[in-house]
Amino acid sequence: MAATLDPFSGPDKYRTQADACDVELREQLSQISADIADPVLKLRYLRGAVGDGERIERHVKRVPIPPLRRVLYRLRGLQALQPLADDATSRSSVNQRTLEARKTARYGVVGTLAAGMLFLPALMATLAFSIEPKPQASPQGLAQLTAHVDTLQPARTDIDTTPPQPAESMPEDPVGLAPTTIWLADRGPGWELYSNGLRIETTYTVAGEPRKYRIHDRQRGIQPTWYSHPVGILFHTSESDLWPLEADYGQQLRQSSTALLRYVARTQAYNYMIDRFGRVYRMVDDDTRASHAGHSIWARGDDVYLDLNSAFLGISFESRWEGGHTLPITRAQLVAGRNLTNYLRQRFAIAPEMCVTHGLTSISPKTYLIGYHRDWARGFPFEAFGLPDLYAQPPPSVALFGFTYDREFVRVVGERWPGLVAAEESLRGDATKRHVSADVVRLERRSLYNKWIGQIRDDATVAGETPVQTASNKRG
Amino acid sequence: MDDRNDFGVQTSHDQASSGWGTAAATTRTGLDVGTSKVVTARGDSRHSTSDAQLNAFVAVPFTSLAQNTLQQNGIPHYRDGEELIVYGSASEKFAHMFNAECRRPMAKGILNPQERLATHVLESILGSLVPPAPTANEVIAFSVPAAAVETGAELTYHEETLKRYLKGRGYTPLAVNEGLAVVLAELANESFTGIGISCGGGMCNVALSYLSIPSLTFSIAKGGDYIDSSVGAVVGEPATRVKAIKEDNFDLNRANDDKVGKAIHIYYDKLIESLVDELYHSVTRSQKLPRTDRPLPIVLAGGTSMPKGFRDRFEQLLRRRSLPFEIGDIRMASDPLTATARGTLVAALAER
Repeated sequence: MAATLDPFSGPDKYRTQADACDVELREQLSQISADIADPVLKLRYLRGAVGDGERIERHVKRVPIPPLRRVLYRLRGLQALQPLADDATSRSSVNQRTLEARKTARYGVVGTLAAGMLFLPALMATLAFSIEPKPQASPQGLAQLTAHVDTLQPARTDIDTTPPQPAESMPEDPVGLAPTTIWLADRGPGWELYSNGLRIETTYTVAGEPRKYRIHDRQRGIQPTWYSHPVGILFHTSESDLWPLEADYGQQLRQSSTALLRYVARTQAYNYMIDRFGRVYRMVDDDTRASHAGHSIWARGDDVYLDLNSAFLGISFESRWEGGHTLPITRAQLVAGRNLTNYLRQRFAIAPEMCVTHGLTSISPKTYLIGYHRDWARGFPFEAFGLPDLYAQPPPSVALFGFTYDREFVRVVGERWPGLVAAEESLRGDATKRHVSADVVRLERRSLYNKWIGQIRDDATVAGETPVQTASNKRG
Repeated sequence: MDDRNDFGVQTSHDQASSGWGTAAATTRTGLDVGTSKVVTARGDSRHSTSDAQLNAFVAVPFTSLAQNTLQQNGIPHYRDGEELIVYGSASEKFAHMFNAECRRPMAKGILNPQERLATHVLESILGSLVPPAPTANEVIAFSVPAAAVETGAELTYHEETLKRYLKGRGYTPLAVNEGLAVVLAELANESFTGIGISCGGGMCNVALSYLSIPSLTFSIAKGGDYIDSSVGAVVGEPATRVKAIKEDNFDLNRANDDKVGKAIHIYYDKLIESLVDELYHSVTRSQKLPRTDRPLPIVLAGGTSMPKGFRDRFEQLLRRRSLPFEIGDIRMASDPLTATARGTLVAALAER
């Protein structure tokens, strides 16, 4: 495993980028640090509190009651004052009311624990009487349990490599099944209703630039035919901050979704947005291109696509990449996403293997690295959408064009996709056959990419557009 | 040309008295290793003094007379074969005197790969500003750029060279991103949350920080040198003369009639446009958009940001863009030339 840079300790802590901590923790720490006058002590406090806070954040975030969560974050923030409170010189730099609050919080915690200890025996006794005796574990069961325990690994603190839970559970669609006929059942001002239950809000819809693109053939290079209809779907996440999906946050949830929709409309960043309540918004007309794909590569059979803004529709789920995987989307988003995908697949006759995620296609043409954008780089629920698992397919960026990845990619993504491993092995196999190094093969393939992307840019220049460059300027 | 008063001249900075106590009166050093200047800030959390040297040198033919003159006047120099290397703030004067071009140990934020003497000269300049560590393993923080967007320059060699030199002086070095250093120096009241921008000679560094943790850092390989050389090329004047005009109370709010002034205007606009463009693109393609509930303040620092009107022009262009968060106050650093060094000092002092 690659060495990691720790943003909270070590010699690179003031230069390593990290995601901002949870908004509720941020609020509490800002409030507490406002009472520290000395900038050096304030920095020392915040560095300690954010670093430690990150470790407890993942647990506190699971607490379902927002006020309780805020109390826990506040306690954590006050607890982090300990080093300052212990030092007489430092203590004088902290506002007295904050020190008092810390003391009160400590008494509160001790009192709660003591009360818990007093009530624990009574609670245990009640449980003992109310629970039916369980059958004794069989030797076989014990063996299975031991085997399970043996397989447990120490918890890692940086990236969660366990398979991510992409969404709340729901039955999977049969893989490869063509969507049945879906028709427009009803429409009104600002909405359309389709026969599969899909409702599309159209109040934000704008028209983008017309789709116009050519594709490359693996053997014969660029093809003369110009296309103007979408042939694929690219799944994204909005990468916006998310409020907890709880009734207490109803107003904030609505406000943040609205702000996001306005932003996406202004920048024409996706064709569709699915908010956290599962509402589907058409942002940019299907017949026109949104700037969602940046520099991306995908292929099907011999057809290679380099201008995915034109060739693909962009669907974004209001969610974000965090801790090595995309945060679980809601069941409402999953249902809506599946209905929308089926509708678009049927309308444009899109093949299942052309429904792919941005994280699988995104590249940097400057560094020749994959994973420039990492939305859905892991954990897209292909099966639930009735789509083939494209994490198992060799990415054309690596297989065809010799792109690679760096340690940071592995650190963030947690593990390489099976398809990525296969693509690399295949590339190395080719190199061995030809008695050259894998780097030589990569260089050759990258020069092919440079040639082909140059042709796409030339097309854009002739047409007076800049599809790939413009795309890279928008959100992914 | 007269030296600017920041070259090799000490200035002092006091924190406003708050009536509350401060961190223990530990004294440490922060170091801003910039393409154009090397600035140090030494002190504690309440009071610091800064010192600066031009990060440049000039090679003149060796003669005993020249060497004696340099020694008698206390001008930093050393002999390299048949040449005398005059370095630091005095090099600009000597360049004029001997009609020679000033050379730079650094280019675009890192050690200049084209300059044979780069490492030795930079170490000499650092040596004139940073004394041996008063106590063994004292922490010293130094600024490092983020990899430039256009060039993606390899930073390891530059950083390691600095680290090894500072370790050799008995220090424990700590690298601080240059944009973040501006945040640490200027945004303490905002809990180190906001955007710090350092516009230096070789590049502009940007950091978006939440509670002192950088969420986004990047740089563009354009700075004051880009303006000097571009203007020089189009008006047929040496870059050093353009630099002198630019640093002599140039006002971006005022229309210029002369050729050089007009060209400086044009290339300043290009620089600011590039900076705003890259800021826009970086935050919009970032893996994580910050929430829009609280406006983020922006602080501008560095010598290139000092002409009057720079802040206004930057604000004008930035506010035209649709960013995924609200921009708060856009302000100049309290002392733009020392902000990065003062920020690194805060980081050094925060180490236990």
